[in-house]
Parts: sequence; structure tokens; C-alpha cells
Amino acid sequence: MDAEAYSSALKNALNEVQNICPDIKSVFLFNEEGQIIAGAENTPESVIIRAMDALDGLLEKAEIIDGVESISFEASKGRVNVSRMSDLYLVTLASEKADMNYVCTVTRVVIPAVIKLLDKVAPALLKDTPVQVEAEPEDSTFEEAEMASEELDEESQKTEHEEQAESGNKSETILPKAPVNQFIVENLGGLFVSGDTVRIDNDILLKWKELYEDRAIEEVEIETFSGKSARCKLKPIKNSKHEGKGIIQIPEKIQAALDIRKGELVRVKPVVE
Amino acid sequence: MEAFLVVKKKRGAQEVSDVVEPVALEETTVDSSLRASLEEIKKYDGVMGYIRRDTTSASIDLKDPTKIIDYALLSSLAFDAGKDLSELFDIGDVKDTLVWGTNVKMLSVIIGENKISVFMEKNADTEKVLARLNAS
Repeated sequence: MDAEAYSSALKNALNEVQNICPDIKSVFLFNEEGQIIAGAENTPESVIIRAMDALDGLLEKAEIIDGVESISFEASKGRVNVSRMSDLYLVTLASEKADMNYVCTVTRVVIPAVIKLLDKVAPALLKDTPVQVEAEPEDSTFEEAEMASEELDEESQKTEHEEQAESGNKSETILPKAPVNQFIVENLGGLFVSGDTVRIDNDILLKWKELYEDRAIEEVEIETFSGKSARCKLKPIKNSKHEGKGIIQIPEKIQAALDIRKGELVRVKPVVE
Repeated sequence: MEAFLVVKKKRGAQEVSDVVEPVALEETTVDSSLRASLEEIKKYDGVMGYIRRDTTSASIDLKDPTKIIDYALLSSLAFDAGKDLSELFDIGDVKDTLVWGTNVKMLSVIIGENKISVFMEKNADTEKVLARLNAS
């Protein structure tokens, strides 16, 4: 059984779940790596990606409670359930009228049974294979998509530059090289501080914004002197007493990931979208 | 009062005190009914504590103070996820969110301006907690 057949089998199972439970408006599966495993016919990839994005932080942070078994969001006009099945997450959207016992019974029996069966027939495929979802070309993981996009961008940039050189056409804007700044690491913590966001001087931010004019600068790439790097969201430093001191406030989690501590130097450059 | 304990901890951790946002960790006027409910819920079997915040204040009562930051972040992420999913799927306002972890579960509820997350052991009675909160 190849990957396509595997995903097709899962997709059929999800479609059947919807047939059995018409109150399920949307259902899809994704794995811990953020790969879409399968989605029902009426669930477009863009919706799955946005849902995964919405759940990403929560699922990641749930390590503090030793990982998620399930999550249920009870809203006035519907319910979203996220159930963990081995290394997969099954997401179902049900109407407010849905009999959740029935929905859960069906989804938690049918889908695991199909997954188990498929695992027996084609072990390891599930873990390794991103899957195509309805009407979306060459769907793959975020990272792969990003890499592909970057490659495409690089290629198109090269082509554009070549074309510009040849034709003298200057209509395309060539972005200036991203400036690299050095900062001293300062701790960033506290309640309601996002774990994926760093803070730097607002003056630096303004300079970057001037440099890139209309481009949004919402992320930075931090590089340590040991060669580790990470991309993080960006906000200006709140407290004026930290301003103008050349510091970057970094949450402990990111510090740990980069193997750096308070007082160390890091290189920071803006990520220009 | 546990809320004072939190304030002391925050002030003791210098790197934290300057960046806490958007709420001030101070004991502020909380709806008395809700406060009473939370005090009662705290005594339920398996309840490990709660985090309550509104637009201007927060109160935290957790048996394990070392988990405060992580639990607060988890709570915040649950509310954010609920809001995002609500918008994505057009399912209206999320009334409550239940996150089942391997050992702990978290019930998050919005009551008026208050966002409340109650942390419980897995065998705790979620329905009882939810009913008490909704009766506030």
C-alpha cells in the first residue's frame, strides 16, 4: 500500500464518520509534527492549517500536564473536540445539537480501528508521509511548504534579478540586506508573556521599519555564537528602563533551546516578509 | 491569601516583575459570588487550584506555586485557541474549554469579564466544578 492509498483510506474513513454522524461538520487528522494526515472531503486544507495553527501553542504548552489526551471547546453554536490517538490528533467540529456521546463513540471507535488496521497493513507510512487533502496541490508539511516556498522565492528572485539585469527593468524592489545587531540577553518571564516572543528596543524596531518601509517585521532570527539559531516573534520592550541598553529580552524556553543565558551576546536580524 | 503570595513571588523574581502584562497581580475587587464559588471549588476533591483574570487584575491560587507561570500560560493559550477556533468555524463564543492532560485536566470558563481556569486531578468532578462556576 502506498502513501496515497493510505491517506485515501483514512480520508474515506473520515467521510464515513461524517455520513454516520451528520452533526459532524468537519473532521481531520494531523500529527505531532504538524503534518496533515487526512481530512474529510468538506474540510479544505486551508481550514485545517488554520485550526492546527490555533491549537499549536496549546498542544505544545500542554507538556506541563504531560501532554494532551483530549480537548473540548464548547461554544454557543458548536463544539470542537481534539482527541489524541497515539501520535495523531483527531479534530472534529460538531454542531451544537450533536449528541456528543454518539459522536465521541463513533470517532473514538472507528478512526482508531482504521488507523490500527492501516498501521498493520502499512506500518510507518503514517508517520512519514504527508498527505494530500481535498483540492489542494502538493500538500505537505509546513516546513516542507516553507522550504519549497523559499526555494521558489530564491529561484524566482534569481530569475527576476537576471531579468532585471538584462532588461534594465527596475520595477521590482530589491530589499536591503537584513542588518545584524548584537544584543545582550536578558530574561523575559512572567504571567501572560508569550513563550515564543522576544522583546527588543523600540528604536531598533523603528530603524528596521524605516529600512524596509512597508514590510512587516514581526519576527527576528536569533543566532548564538555557538551557531544555534531560532526564529521568534518580536515585540518592543515595554519597560523604559531597559531601553537603549542593547538588550534583548528572551523567554527562558527560547534561552534553553538556544543554550544561552542572561548576559550572553546574541546576533539578531529581522525577518522581512 | 494566596494572591499575596503570588505578589511576593513576583517581586522576588526581578526579571519577571517588569514584563508581566497586561494585568497587575493584585488582590482586586472580584465579584463576591465568583470569589465564593472559587473558594468553594478549591475545596473539592482533586482540585489543585485556579487562575482567574479579568481585564485589570488576576488572582491565582495553586497548591503548587512552581507551576504558576506554566499553568497561567496554558490557561491563556486555551482561551486564545478557543477564540481562534470560534472565529475559524463560526461556532459563536466558547463557553468552556476542557483540556485533559495525562495527569491533570484544566477547565477554562469565561464568566462575564472573568477568564477562569480550574486545574484538577483527572478523577475530579468536572461537571460539579462547571456547575458551581456557572451558578456564580
